[in-house]
Amino acid sequence: MTFKLTRRAALQGMLAGGVAMTAFRAFPAYAQAPGGTLTVGLTYEIDTMNVYSTGFLGDAQAAVVEGLLAPGSDAKYVPVLATEVPTLENGGIVVAEDGKTMKITYKLREGVKWHDGEPFTSADVKYTWEAVKDPAFIAESKDGTEEVESIETPDDLTVIVNYNTILPTFASTLFTFGILPKHVLEGTDLNTSTYNETPIGTGPFKVTEFVRGQYVVTERFDEYWDKAENGDQLPYLDSIIFKMIPDTNTLITQLRSGEVTMVVSTPYSQASQVEGIDGIEIVKGPLLSWQHLDFNFKNPTLADLEVRKAIAMGIDRNVLIRAQGGFPEAIKSPVVPVFEWYDAETPEIAYDVEGAKAALDAAGYVAGSDGIREKDGNRLSYQFMVQAGRADDELAQQVIIAQLKAIGIEATANNQTGVAYREARYNGGYDLIYGRWITSADPVYSVFWGTGGANNGQSYSNPKLDEAFAKFENSLDTAVRMEAAKEFQTILAEDLPSIPLTTNVALIAKTAKLKDFVPNPTNMTNFVHTAEWYMEG
Amino acid sequence: MSLGYVIRRLLGAIPLLLGISLILFTIIHLAPGGPLDMYLENPAVSKEALDQIARAYGLDQPVPVQYFLWLKSMLVGDWGYSIRTGRPVLTEIVLRLGPTLELGGLSLLISLALAIPLGIISASRRGSKLDTTVTLASFAGISIPVFWMALLLQLFFSVQLGWLPSAGYKSIGGGDFLDRLSHIVMPAAVLSLATIASWSRFIRSGMVDVLNQDYIRTAYAKGRSERAVVVLHALRNAMIPAVTVIAVDFGTVISGAVITETVFAWPGIGRLFMESMDGRDYPMLMGLMMMGSLGIILANIVADLAYAALDPRIRYG
Repeated sequence: MTFKLTRRAALQGMLAGGVAMTAFRAFPAYAQAPGGTLTVGLTYEIDTMNVYSTGFLGDAQAAVVEGLLAPGSDAKYVPVLATEVPTLENGGIVVAEDGKTMKITYKLREGVKWHDGEPFTSADVKYTWEAVKDPAFIAESKDGTEEVESIETPDDLTVIVNYNTILPTFASTLFTFGILPKHVLEGTDLNTSTYNETPIGTGPFKVTEFVRGQYVVTERFDEYWDKAENGDQLPYLDSIIFKMIPDTNTLITQLRSGEVTMVVSTPYSQASQVEGIDGIEIVKGPLLSWQHLDFNFKNPTLADLEVRKAIAMGIDRNVLIRAQGGFPEAIKSPVVPVFEWYDAETPEIAYDVEGAKAALDAAGYVAGSDGIREKDGNRLSYQFMVQAGRADDELAQQVIIAQLKAIGIEATANNQTGVAYREARYNGGYDLIYGRWITSADPVYSVFWGTGGANNGQSYSNPKLDEAFAKFENSLDTAVRMEAAKEFQTILAEDLPSIPLTTNVALIAKTAKLKDFVPNPTNMTNFVHTAEWYMEG
Repeated sequence: MSLGYVIRRLLGAIPLLLGISLILFTIIHLAPGGPLDMYLENPAVSKEALDQIARAYGLDQPVPVQYFLWLKSMLVGDWGYSIRTGRPVLTEIVLRLGPTLELGGLSLLISLALAIPLGIISASRRGSKLDTTVTLASFAGISIPVFWMALLLQLFFSVQLGWLPSAGYKSIGGGDFLDRLSHIVMPAAVLSLATIASWSRFIRSGMVDVLNQDYIRTAYAKGRSERAVVVLHALRNAMIPAVTVIAVDFGTVISGAVITETVFAWPGIGRLFMESMDGRDYPMLMGLMMMGSLGIILANIVADLAYAALDPRIRYG
């Protein structure tokens, strides 16, 4: 595999050279031209096209249904059906005098049409809030509905949302997921509506056929609102087809035979096979998810910073990465590098076995006859939990157990699943725990390490950190948030409640003919900006 | 064969199904994981939210209580709602039953059409090159893993030759007879392979036993042709042991072929089972497994009736 990758890398280098040369010519090598069909293979079954009730991330949905805003390739929000992202600076966000509530004004894009030709207006935005909030509607996500006090629609293109609190993460909730068409849905039962199979959206593609368990066909919406920079009517593609193929081997076979031309979640283990297919290339996209090792502070030795530091020094991330096909990337901060909030100067603890041993010696932890260190009768012997049945995590756990052993620390796998895992994770039924978290494009970290945070099962509490989190999460001012982000990343790296190990990456296999594809790291999927994708030749 | 017998057998199936349901319910709850596992990676789903979803589906109750709640609704014909899709379990099953019956039915027809002649020829030419070939091929057919055979066919017919679609039920926008046929050929062939192999073995051994009986020698002595002896005198008796196996295989058709359907992205019951298993969709799994059990019980009753039809010495009263 390494040979192949190297050869490919060399080829890509040559291609880059070729592209540089074509740049000297008077005309571009490939023009964006309308046409072409992209066939996407999904390993899961699309349950519903309704963005508020699907249990998945909504790949097909994102090409059809648009929200007011959407996260871009750098996880920053860009306007979609709104004309700009509301901020304090542009007056889109106004905080009340008492500082306790806020009001957000969206200016809507003009001339946007629903797939049935009706105009999109502010009434649709208000209806979306009402419909999702309705207790009768069974939704996976009602995020952001409770914080809205009322919505005013002074005219067709203005929406004023009155919040009953300050919600800096407003953009990662309600109106970003998608807007529902009032004229189609008002008075119907959203749980059973045909909208769930053939939704009316404003997106560049409209659903023309939904066949449960088989495929969803979307075709170009001719009256789409957006134009390319050169004035071309968007979208370029004629159609995007989403096929549901549960078996990843079959999916790779379909890539080979040309029956599918894109796979958005190639398993790490099958990447090398895909690399060898003619006309298919792999795009490595960052994700907002990361792998981490956390400590339970109820355990007296783990409450000792010297022990946590030694463990951090004892872990070689490269081995963990190799065990996962070489694809994840090492990190030092839980704020993954995609975010503007990421602080590149976060202190790093390098892999250093001798240093770890020396630190434990200095702190008075002496190896007993079995090689396991102890101090004052407390052995460095821990119960180590991952979610049972997840092969990747169990493998990482074994790697970490071996590495801890080398510095005189014993860890015993005690893996749980289902309710038992949940209880243990939230209530600290472990000494060490390894897992993955994912955040939205508007990350909130106090839930993990804030005092009493919803996901803080570690009993960790640090008033200075709480303060930095509060500053980060309650401010709408970017400069203040940057400052706070730097602050909490430094505290986390120094106090080590959790060791961030690696980020995860998405391996997207696609036909090399598809151009202008940009991976999206967020949980809004790669299909939020499909209008400009085009097929060459 | 009396109607009374059939009714008694059907009544006898009720406690059997109850027992099966209890065992199945226990086993799926013993398996690691639960329906809420898919949310565990996402911190935006708080413990409170998870508890709320658990309450909505009754997952917060002790397992025995969950079982009785499930049984209570089942008795009044309420199969419950799928946790994964939120749609009624019965609706989902009915939707998937058609493709499964098509695939299973076709593969059983192919199997019958090939296994019976192969078994007969193999038995009546015992020890010949043909018999050895059929025997070897049968063992190969039983031994080759379905997913591997499927992959070979896909690579050859879809990637190399480009003749057949590698997976799916029909083409997008297509769906006429030829299109459907091109999709069903490979999965049906893969599915038939193992059945042909095992059935032909059973028919062969049944046939070998019967061909040694005195009445066969008598038939030959009367001067009947070999064909007549084999088809008219021997086959019927030779089928009795094979009927059990064939009937049970018929019964399993409605529970779908899990691996074949998954590999070929066939939208049937087996794939639904696989996906429900992945998501630990308890109501869906129970519905599917109960239906599968019912199929096998019914098939067994039919097999018993078939014995009586084939062999007048067997009487049920």
